Amino acid sequence: MARIETKSLTKQFGGLVAVKNVSFSLSSGEILGIIGPNGAGKTTFINLISGIYYPTSGSVFLDGRDISTMPAHERARRGIARTYQLIHPMESLDVLENVMIGFIFAAGKSLPEARKSAESLCAEIGLSQLHRSVSQLTMLETKKMEIAHALANGPTILFLDEVMAGLNSDETKAMIGLVQRLAKERNLAVGVVEHVMGVIRELTHRVIVLEAGELIAEGPYEEVSKNPRVIEAYLGGAA
Amino acid sequence: MKKPANYIFPLALIFAGGLLPVFLGAYPQAVARSVFTFMALAISWDMLLRSGQISFGIAGFFGLGSYTAIILSVRAGVAPVVAMLSAAAFAALVAFLLGFLVLRLRSTYFSITTLALGEIFKVIIHNWSSFTGGPEGLVLPQVVFGGKSSSLYWLSYAILLFAVGASVLFEKSKMHFSLTAIRNNEIAARTSGINIFANLLIAFTASSLIQGLVGGVHVMSYGFAMPDTAFDANYTLLPLAMALLGGIHSTWGPIIGALLLGVISEYLKLMIPYGHLLVYGLIIILVILFMPRGIYGLIKKERSKRNG
Repeated sequence: MARIETKSLTKQFGGLVAVKNVSFSLSSGEILGIIGPNGAGKTTFINLISGIYYPTSGSVFLDGRDISTMPAHERARRGIARTYQLIHPMESLDVLENVMIGFIFAAGKSLPEARKSAESLCAEIGLSQLHRSVSQLTMLETKKMEIAHALANGPTILFLDEVMAGLNSDETKAMIGLVQRLAKERNLAVGVVEHVMGVIRELTHRVIVLEAGELIAEGPYEEVSKNPRVIEAYLGGAA
Repeated sequence: MKKPANYIFPLALIFAGGLLPVFLGAYPQAVARSVFTFMALAISWDMLLRSGQISFGIAGFFGLGSYTAIILSVRAGVAPVVAMLSAAAFAALVAFLLGFLVLRLRSTYFSITTLALGEIFKVIIHNWSSFTGGPEGLVLPQVVFGGKSSSLYWLSYAILLFAVGASVLFEKSKMHFSLTAIRNNEIAARTSGINIFANLLIAFTASSLIQGLVGGVHVMSYGFAMPDTAFDANYTLLPLAMALLGGIHSTWGPIIGALLLGVISEYLKLMIPYGHLLVYGLIIILVILFMPRGIYGLIKKERSKRNG
């Protein structure tokens, strides 16, 4: 059953069409890869789903309900969470407080409850020394905090925007394991934007490919990676 | 975690503040009232600043409160307590309604607009002579408590404690998280379920309520209001300087800053009339350059260093 769906989703910035006519769906327990060259519209697509932008035309559906013009904070409360490609943690708050935010506002918990939930979530994903300032975290810890920050919403739908970027290969492996475990245990519908194809192959059940805002291919990674149009999009027309 | 010692010092301070009139003469009490007035304004300014919004509208809402109280007293003859509470309520109402417009703006656009709002309030009052008394202003038949110094002191002290209480409530509640998140990263705050506009509206309204209340109490204690004095730019500039010096994004910071600058400026006013403004400007510049977290910021840093 599709949890989140888009129909002919389009976003235009002045003369630039960043996302063009994209229709897709994502179900619980599924991990979907969203790939495409730089500037293909992947992040804009996530921004449309999480409510940072409203579409120029087309619609976003959550469990069949049109949420195209629902504000971002309402979507967060209804189970949509995401991480950001450019990470800007709340630098005036410590690690624990960063993770508490989603518990407080999206999940609607009281401060003591949120504190407890945040502590156990951090323990679950392997974040310790929670009263550190966020500037003291390693890259892997920062990424884990990003994920914890998103999971605090209590989401059923999670989008990860380049959460592996900047990690070494061991860290990437650990992160893949973490995302798989979380998706399974929580029966999440997960969308992953990623540039490293090894990660996409390991992690995802299905892939959609965007190029210049358009969805040009869809299917399992093995299939999509052999698609001539996808190869051309990545390598350019001359190849 | 919470140690009883954390409460002893503030409680002792509150108690000591209440006892001061027993020991002090009328002049120091008047100085203290002036310091409390600016301290409450500095705290109220900081409460909104925690969301990242820099308001230059303190004098505007202070003046609005002043005029609400004095107009109600002179024209309708209401009781002083009603006049002062109405000042708070009217400033809050105006902020709440204008919030729908100005809280769409950010950074300098917000700041400039709040500055302009204050000027607009002033121009309206200046020109609506039949109702507001125009440029000559209005005079109360008599000030509250018959002008008794210690009573006026306790009144302004109570208002200060109200402002401190509101600020501490902001610090200890969900507001602390929502306002900090909005200041640090507004977009990530939205996708964490924070209703940005609603939280800004609460902060703007609460901050203006305090400013209106302080204005209302001020006018009832001094007995007159003129557009040039009620909307004096000092009511915006001094609280700002105090909060910056003491340390922003905290309750202690504006308290420390207002104590220091308040006492210093009282002294300077006697030494070099109007020269104190020069000193103020200098302090603001030096603090921004060399001590962006203010005095309380330094104290906190030292403390966290010592605690490892």
